[in-house]
Amino acid sequence: MTGTGGPDAPAIAVDGLWQVFGDGARPALSELLKPGAATTDGVARRLKEQGLIPAVQDASFTVKEGELFVIMGLSGSGKSTLIRCMSRLVEPTSGSVLMAGEDILAASKRRMIELRRDKLGMVFQHFGLFPHMSVVDNVAFPIKMKGVGLKERRARAMEVIELVGLGGREDAYPRELSGGQRQRVGIARSLAVNPDVWFLDEPFSALDPLIRRQLQDEFLNIQATLRKSIVFITHDIGEALKLADRIAIMRDGVIVQIGTPSEIVLNPVDDYVREFSRDIPKGRHMTLEALMEPVDVAPDRGGPELRTAMTLDDALSACALTFEPMAVRDGEGRVVGLLHPEALARAVGEAQST
Amino acid sequence: MSGLSPLTTALDSKGKQAAALVVFVGLLCLLAAPYAPWLVAWPSVLTVPMSEWISQGLGAFFDLIKPAMRWVSWVLGFGMAAANWLLVSTPWVVVIGMTTAVGWYLGGLKMAALGFFGLLFVLASGYWVESMNTLALVFVSVPLALLLGTAIGILAYEVARVKKAVEAVLDLMQTIPTFAYLTPLLLLFGFGPVVGLIASAIYAAPPMARNVLLGLERVESEIKEAAVMSGGTRAQQLFLVELPSAMTQIMVGVNQSLMAALSMVIIAAVIGGFNDIGWEVLLTMRKAQFGQSFLAGLVIVVFAIVIDRMSGALAQERRRYSTRVVWWIIVASLVAAVVLRDILPDAGTLSYFGGVADAVDQSVGDFTRVYGTTLDTVKNTAMFYVLLPLRIGLDDAVLPFTWGFQWTAAMSAWVYAIGVTLAAVLAWQGRLTLGLCLLLLIGVIETGVTQLPWIFVLVGVGALGWVSSGWRLSVLCVGLLGLILISGLWDRALLSLYLSGAAVFTCAVLGGALGLWAAVSRTAWAVIHPVCDMLQTIPLFVFLIPMLMFFQIGEFSAFLAIIAYAIVPMIRYTRHGLVTTPEDMIEAATSSGATNWQIMREVRAPYAAPTILLGLNQTILYAFAMLVIAALIGTTGLGQSIYIALGRADVGLGITAGAAMAILALVADRLVQGFAEERRKALGL
Repeated sequence: MTGTGGPDAPAIAVDGLWQVFGDGARPALSELLKPGAATTDGVARRLKEQGLIPAVQDASFTVKEGELFVIMGLSGSGKSTLIRCMSRLVEPTSGSVLMAGEDILAASKRRMIELRRDKLGMVFQHFGLFPHMSVVDNVAFPIKMKGVGLKERRARAMEVIELVGLGGREDAYPRELSGGQRQRVGIARSLAVNPDVWFLDEPFSALDPLIRRQLQDEFLNIQATLRKSIVFITHDIGEALKLADRIAIMRDGVIVQIGTPSEIVLNPVDDYVREFSRDIPKGRHMTLEALMEPVDVAPDRGGPELRTAMTLDDALSACALTFEPMAVRDGEGRVVGLLHPEALARAVGEAQST
Repeated sequence: MSGLSPLTTALDSKGKQAAALVVFVGLLCLLAAPYAPWLVAWPSVLTVPMSEWISQGLGAFFDLIKPAMRWVSWVLGFGMAAANWLLVSTPWVVVIGMTTAVGWYLGGLKMAALGFFGLLFVLASGYWVESMNTLALVFVSVPLALLLGTAIGILAYEVARVKKAVEAVLDLMQTIPTFAYLTPLLLLFGFGPVVGLIASAIYAAPPMARNVLLGLERVESEIKEAAVMSGGTRAQQLFLVELPSAMTQIMVGVNQSLMAALSMVIIAAVIGGFNDIGWEVLLTMRKAQFGQSFLAGLVIVVFAIVIDRMSGALAQERRRYSTRVVWWIIVASLVAAVVLRDILPDAGTLSYFGGVADAVDQSVGDFTRVYGTTLDTVKNTAMFYVLLPLRIGLDDAVLPFTWGFQWTAAMSAWVYAIGVTLAAVLAWQGRLTLGLCLLLLIGVIETGVTQLPWIFVLVGVGALGWVSSGWRLSVLCVGLLGLILISGLWDRALLSLYLSGAAVFTCAVLGGALGLWAAVSRTAWAVIHPVCDMLQTIPLFVFLIPMLMFFQIGEFSAFLAIIAYAIVPMIRYTRHGLVTTPEDMIEAATSSGATNWQIMREVRAPYAAPTILLGLNQTILYAFAMLVIAALIGTTGLGQSIYIALGRADVGLGITAGAAMAILALVADRLVQGFAEERRKALGL
């Protein structure tokens, strides 16, 4: 968990958010949502019967200050729609989205523009770079919208360009960059106005696996220094577990579970979630806290120091280091070799992750 | 038909039902014609004098807005005079230098050379002043068209409610023949070059509007969202992000707009020129000075190519060429103009190709003298054996003078008997639809397109609409054609239908074959491709010149001109459809052991069918566009009506005939699109 920083007041609070597509969605939904009406499932079924598409159904969650909140789901699960509701790129049908206490769904057009100029940043799956602008102009664009002069905005843009490691490429055009570099520009642009809330819509999905891992690590580094409140969309459970403070799992427009990575892996609420974490090596995400027998006093036998936050893999290898290599015997009891437990532990880990 | 159960089982598909219905109506007409002539020819009592009504209605309206329009005309006159003065009084060295510089900037050495030699040719042809006058019209009308088009495109994009309406209007504007624009404008603005200017501004706006709309719609949604999330206002999003992102597509619009304007400016010469190049072509054509008119036509072609290639380069990803060279070329031409001003001859006095024109005249004269009989034979064969029967039917076209014998009723009976037998054989083989269609075809050739009973035509088109896409289209087509019927322009519409139909059919067969050839042979495409490019760049007007040279005024020349212009899309789309079959489908067929021809027949052709149908659609629209221009060299039909209306400044006739033409084009367009759509759906595309 993120632990120390900031008060526990939520940076974002989403409550009862619905996004229904189709003609006459709004009156149909408000009719169905009258007090004492059906469950979420019931409402969704009725909407579908009317030929409407409930893309997001009754989503409620909070994102804490400085928290990295990941929304995970398969394509068509409504996760992209949800983040577009929160950034008001699409107009939600019902519900509320509070940011620092302000309901942005009630904000006027003018106010929305102000919010976007000062408080919100967004990164897109296919980068969404402006093809006719150089890197520095792309990055400086949100600052330009604020009416900042050329010199000042270039200076600020150069800062973020350095931050994402693109220094020296500022005069290139998007078509001259590789995928990874393009997304660096996208990230830089979204950070240009130093927003409080950072939306990332599958930012690494369009990249090669190697570049993806590299950018994930750099992203974590940036977040470690900037500590934004983040909503991050992905369809990749590995990415979600690696990055998230908390994860919300979506299916068919419904959030089915919200929890920390180890909660998701250890206590999936249903088969859908279990199916996701099935191929995930538990040793890598499960911590000792979930495994240990809770006692107050334990006998001190020396050996490695164990912590609750240690993953099983780490604990296994820590313990293994202290053991002596052991003899391996054949069928008749003769010693035929030595096994190093460390090698064993590593082998177990590898077998699980493939 | 539900009561007749054997019938319903035999007619188990839409196609069969429709064909059977049309055959039935045709039979009815054939039998009833002698007793009920109103079945064949629409009674003139029931004709609604639409032309007169429109003339009166619009006349009153025009009188109202005329002062304002005259004022606009006066203002535009200034702009035009200024552009004219600028282009004509600028020394030709500088104009050529500027063009070369622009060419360099857009496409390097190749484009610079094109500009340089192109304009040098214009200079040497002796048509420099005329060309600059034409260019001045283009330079004033195109910015107007671009502004207008951009505004319309943005409006359609921004206001979802008007988008459908705007698109419908753009569709309509594309099908209304060019001449038809001129008559109302003539009334509003009076004779003079300003009419040509405004006509070309109006005519050139739709392609711009279309491309602006298309470009804006095609901007990636994430780019638009990124602009929103950057906190841009709607205006900032549109002008700083979306329009610039759509620039490539918009440049395609600029290119098309330029070409349309050039084409229209030249056509506008028919209302009385003012010493421009289109007028020169028309004048020399009328005087039968084919050498001169050929030369002037070449100048237009050179202009068209230079403008097209240069503006086309705008729409392509191109590398940047040094601006230093651009400045050097401009400075050099300025210096040359100043230093050599006493040595350089006046542009108006140059004419190196007068001899060439005379030689062309001479050789064409010689050629037609020597091969005149051959040319006449070609023309007469086509006329007597193909066009005439199609137009007035075998029973009227077969005369001792044409075929060497007189057609008799017994022969008709024989033709029908053979047709019925063939149809029966086909039906017995399970190809009932084909049999019925064959029967219809025989009926049409026997009767002649222009003498078809109106009720037969309406039912036939209605049935086609129904098969192609359903009741709505069927009703739309019949309704629109019904308008032509009651307007009294029916006979002329059928004449137009016959000529364009014959040309389209020829284009389909010939163009399809050429497209197929180009698809299988790289060498063939290497030859056909530049020819197609060339034919598509040439303004419509110019197609008439060579046809006139060899076949004189008449329907056959018009027929050839239409084919020359309208065949290009058929070739292009056929080839494109055939060569773009996905590689994995071909590999699958190859690994199944198919030969090249089997692949062509079984895989490529079916896959290409929707594309080829779209090509046919384009060919039809092109044919209608050319049909009107061809009225200049003697066709009857709607084109001639529009032309007559122009001469008489009869706005009612001009508009009704123009609308009738547009209706024909629209109906044909929708029918073919319907079939293409159905094929696409069947292929899951």
